[in-house]
Amino acid sequence: MVELGIVDIREIIRLVNANFGFDLSNFALTSLKYRLEHIISKNSLTSPENLFRKLTSEQAFFDTFLSQLFVPSSEMFRDPSVWRWLREEYFATLADNALMNYKIWVPFCISGGELCTLCIVLKELRLLDKVKIYATYFSDSSLEQIKSGVYPLKKVQVSAENYRRFKGDANFEEYYTMDQYNAKRVLDLFDSVEFIKDDLSFGKAPKNVKLVLMRNSLIYFKPNFQDDILNVIYQSMSAAGILLLGLQELITKNQNTKSLFDPQEISESIYKRRIG
Amino acid sequence: MNYKAVIIGGSAGSFQIVTRILNSLNPNFPLPVLLCLHRLKHVRSGFVEALSLKSNIPISEPYDKDQLKPGNAYLAPANYHMFVELANRIALSTDEPVNHSRPSIDLSFVTAANAYRDKLIGIILSGANRDGAFGLKKVVDNGGLSIVQDPQESEVKTMPTSALQLTKVDYVYTTDQIIRFLQKL
Repeated sequence: MVELGIVDIREIIRLVNANFGFDLSNFALTSLKYRLEHIISKNSLTSPENLFRKLTSEQAFFDTFLSQLFVPSSEMFRDPSVWRWLREEYFATLADNALMNYKIWVPFCISGGELCTLCIVLKELRLLDKVKIYATYFSDSSLEQIKSGVYPLKKVQVSAENYRRFKGDANFEEYYTMDQYNAKRVLDLFDSVEFIKDDLSFGKAPKNVKLVLMRNSLIYFKPNFQDDILNVIYQSMSAAGILLLGLQELITKNQNTKSLFDPQEISESIYKRRIG
Repeated sequence: MNYKAVIIGGSAGSFQIVTRILNSLNPNFPLPVLLCLHRLKHVRSGFVEALSLKSNIPISEPYDKDQLKPGNAYLAPANYHMFVELANRIALSTDEPVNHSRPSIDLSFVTAANAYRDKLIGIILSGANRDGAFGLKKVVDNGGLSIVQDPQESEVKTMPTSALQLTKVDYVYTTDQIIRFLQKL
């Protein structure tokens, strides 16, 4: 396993910025180092210099690089109680007219795990065709992967266990077929989804969003940039919109962003956008 | 001594030993204590509460980018990897399991070794898998101090034995010796 030094990482940040205008400097360093080492190993590059060369000489490689840089969602229905909250405490209590022009945003659609979970929850509530979902992605190859619906078997097995704890209406096998190595999504869940290709400035962020799913994405960035992202989210949301973060992402003690959101269900890391 | 942190790895079976260690530390223990213990991924609560009952120092499951403070213990939260980030902060990750584990002891140890270099004390307790062996090697490679719980004393020996096979460690200690060592810091 190739280990990258700080000088190597700085060089990669510089190259990616110079050649592709993509800013990696806002990533938290430890996980960035780990992901870059993962990219080197996954592409059998054997040295940092080989990665520098590939980034400089192969334009097409950058899309693959981005798809491997972001951490994929770990499993579907991760933290089943969060999804139960969404189903029972949130969607079930919305009045019919609240669903008029109802927009949901997934700002980091990396491997589609959270998106699929959301779609399944909505489908079982018969709400999937009544909402509009925006999913922001960063590389074409990850979008292909998301659309193909093929996942490693292990991940989908874990997801199926989560789904049982969520107490969904169906068997998880109705959504995914599993063979020896892989699982494949059976149903087309994405009719209400608009995929938006963007970068980390989120220039194409949707507006008037009522629900944002951004669980375990902030953790990969430096604190200042976490604030920037939360500001983007705030701007995109309508008043009293709901924001779901990862369970260990706490924003209430952050001086810069705590005025943007109020805790709604703090044990599940669910926040409500402030009015104004 | 000039250490900046202690990191301890083990499986859920090391619960008793970790409880004894936390119960024996001076309330003014001079270093942050990082705990990476294998645990059930879908059981969120109970573990840190149980450990805190007898702990002499405050123990918590850190939030992402929390600052590490001396005299505090940090337990890797369920289903997250726990990294040490620059500027003495925790960074959490939901990256793929390593050695079938999330949290992975290797990842916590490797990132702590990178952050603290020769100012780190790494301790591997008993456990059922080889996770932690590579991490402890990184602690040693960076000049840190390494301790492995005596396999004779461990109920489940795979973890300490794997660590001893991979690295020449500084001390092989019983729980009592580990406690005396930490009390002298």
